[in-house]
Amino acid sequence: MTDSKTLYLVAVVVFVGALSWLIRALPFLIFGGRGEPPKIVSYIGRVLSPAAIAVLVIYCYAGYVSERPPREHLGMLAEVVAGVATVALHWRWRVPMLSISVGTTLYMILVRLF
Amino acid sequence: MNGSATFSAPSVFRRAFSDSIPVMAGYGTMGFAAGVLLSVHGGIANSAFWAAVSSATFISGPLQYLFVDWVRSSLALGGVLFVVLCVNLRYSLYGLSLLETFRGTRLWTRLYLIAGITDETYALEVACRLRPPEKQRYCLYLTALDHLYWVVGVTAGAFVGSALPFPSDGIGFAMTALFLVILTDQCRECANRIPAVVGGAAAVAVFVALAAFLGAAKARAEMLIPTMALLVAALLLLRGRIERPGREAE
Repeated sequence: MTDSKTLYLVAVVVFVGALSWLIRALPFLIFGGRGEPPKIVSYIGRVLSPAAIAVLVIYCYAGYVSERPPREHLGMLAEVVAGVATVALHWRWRVPMLSISVGTTLYMILVRLF
Repeated sequence: MNGSATFSAPSVFRRAFSDSIPVMAGYGTMGFAAGVLLSVHGGIANSAFWAAVSSATFISGPLQYLFVDWVRSSLALGGVLFVVLCVNLRYSLYGLSLLETFRGTRLWTRLYLIAGITDETYALEVACRLRPPEKQRYCLYLTALDHLYWVVGVTAGAFVGSALPFPSDGIGFAMTALFLVILTDQCRECANRIPAVVGGAAAVAVFVALAAFLGAAKARAEMLIPTMALLVAALLLLRGRIERPGREAE
């Protein structure tokens, strides 16, 4: 590990920690007394969460496109199969740890095959 | 002990503890997996130390898993900023509904109660039928316990991950699986489905457009900021459509 890596780690931990806290504290800072947020703010807060998680799913898959070029790995078959399995397990059983561990294990097996 | 108190401190604690046991199971295992991932996949020395520090400050599952990705790729802080913003905005809405509950607590207590909010902690805090000041004590115990489970889980995972020879090829899929699981849960509610589709479409559009100029690897590193900007614009434009089905009493 180089020094720049340590610096990056410190920067990320401080930055993410402080920013997370600041955002969570916003209602207390702005509406510390009393009051409702503008409707547009509560609307964005409500819909941004599912939308951002969907963005992060695509962000993960974008990583596979760049790390494992689709043409060389049967059109990302391993990623698609493991992803579908994870969603199906979770839709049926609703146990996060089960869905994640089975999905990940399946993926780890599949990348050795393709 | 003041006259209006119906529960002694130990019994409030016992109540908070017994309510938090399912969270212990959930955070323990999810945190453990995140810790293993950091040590096996993050490519850093002293991963147990960084696991402890990061889990204590972030207090968030998605950010903990993303931390591994950022550490690996040294993603620019601008991209990090947008994700942190989007992930945490929901918690500030939770905070809004707790303004009354937390009123009158000491400043440091309140700061900690705010910083420690998670989905699970919030759900239990809302469900708790105690009244202030017992309720505030209950919330404080609960926040501290859930926080502790998370930090212990992540740190233990990083220890075990760096001590035992874990197979590492493909283990990064755990992050993808985590987001798929969260997305699946959110899409059980109809109101979340259009926003999720909009988010996915915005991300694909930006990635494909950037990849045409920069190549896939660079496009992925740069995609988060433009995606979030496009996303917020799209959500504002589609507000009429998205809000129509769920127009509850406002």
